[in-house]
Amino acid sequence: MKKPTIKFYRRILQISVAAAFIVIPYLNHQLRINYICGNFLSVRIFGLTLADPLAVLQVSIQNWYIAPEMLMAAGIVLALAIFLGTVFCSWICPYGLLSEWIHWLARRILPKNYGGLKIRISAFRIKICIFTAGMFFTLLFAATPVMNQFSMPAWYSRIFQYIFIQEHLSLAAGVIAAILFIEFVSRNRLWCRYLCPQAILLVLAKLVNPYRLKVAYQKEKCLIADQRQGPCYKACSLSLDLKTFNQALETECNNCGDCVAVCEKKGQALDFQVKRWRNKGEALRIRGKY
Amino acid sequence: MLNRLLRPPGAVPEREFLQRCIQCGQCAQVCPFDCITLKTGWFHSGTPEIDPRVSPCKLCMRCSAICPSDALEDVPIEKSRMGIARLNKDECYTWMGFILCRSCFERCPLKGKAILLDKGIYPVITDQCVGCGICEYVCPKKAIVTIPARLMVHT
Repeated sequence: MKKPTIKFYRRILQISVAAAFIVIPYLNHQLRINYICGNFLSVRIFGLTLADPLAVLQVSIQNWYIAPEMLMAAGIVLALAIFLGTVFCSWICPYGLLSEWIHWLARRILPKNYGGLKIRISAFRIKICIFTAGMFFTLLFAATPVMNQFSMPAWYSRIFQYIFIQEHLSLAAGVIAAILFIEFVSRNRLWCRYLCPQAILLVLAKLVNPYRLKVAYQKEKCLIADQRQGPCYKACSLSLDLKTFNQALETECNNCGDCVAVCEKKGQALDFQVKRWRNKGEALRIRGKY
Repeated sequence: MLNRLLRPPGAVPEREFLQRCIQCGQCAQVCPFDCITLKTGWFHSGTPEIDPRVSPCKLCMRCSAICPSDALEDVPIEKSRMGIARLNKDECYTWMGFILCRSCFERCPLKGKAILLDKGIYPVITDQCVGCGICEYVCPKKAIVTIPARLMVHT
């Protein structure tokens, strides 16, 4: 039997999380099973609370109060990002799953020569700007944690909360569908890569640790090192070019492992590493061992 | 139109509540009586509300125990400050002298503290009322209205 790739395990986890957040409100409300409850802003799993760090940041800076439970809940999520990078986006987030499927569909359906929308500005900078503007607005004008309304995974789970708790179909379902349609037409994972304000705290957390998990490229082992846009580029749903992979590009990488899975059958030039970047802007090179 | 829906028991004052509520909906999911609904709409969406005419709060206090961000504080029933009930004596069957109705007194979770019987007959709502809304729900004449704490002026 063929050995399943890393992508297989990732899909299993993504789909089970996406399915779980449909089943949870049903279990809570129809069957009264309350071991797991909540949505992507804060979820309680057998007494352990996890929370969206951005939501916690907003509720705590607005009135200078942080519940100890919230501190721990956000801490666990940030700790995951510190050691493993933004794996939440690629391994857990249900919007990421929908977005990846739409991206796959766009590659199949749209004409091959249509390159899609190309954005030349660094995604990290765009996100930082959105995050700063959002926090500014939240602190000065908003009476509620307003950036929660821009969280796609939260809205995904809230749609099902509304359906099962009060039989109300939220307008957010249409908004998510519209954003997915824009991503389809532009052939670019716009929201995840450039806009999602929730991801920025995870990226900042991951930048704290130089020994975080990251994908490393070895030019010596690459079979088509002189060509641009090899199978790894095609496999990457965020359209990152692994051959010019540097520290700036690595801030956008979600450690999904699709490129590693593809390269496994070719030259095995890509692998997960925990080594630190040598110097800024230059690719990570690994010597010895191989 | 003023919003006459109640916040769940243990809610901190409204302004602070809106800031603290992380909008996760756990309170609505643990409510065993389906009292709590999540507000729909834009900025306040996902914050919990209770309509006493549909399903009043039974003060089981599970929502305030589970709230992760302390927007609902885990307080004893007597301090849950959801609002206060007001009895319109001109509408009440007992006060009008038609029949001896004690529905509100019998069903009050704080029986003997929040609702007393004046002269053993006439129901009177005291300051001890926490505003759960059960009396409003059971009143056959709808003579009781629960005023949410968020509409009351704090001094």
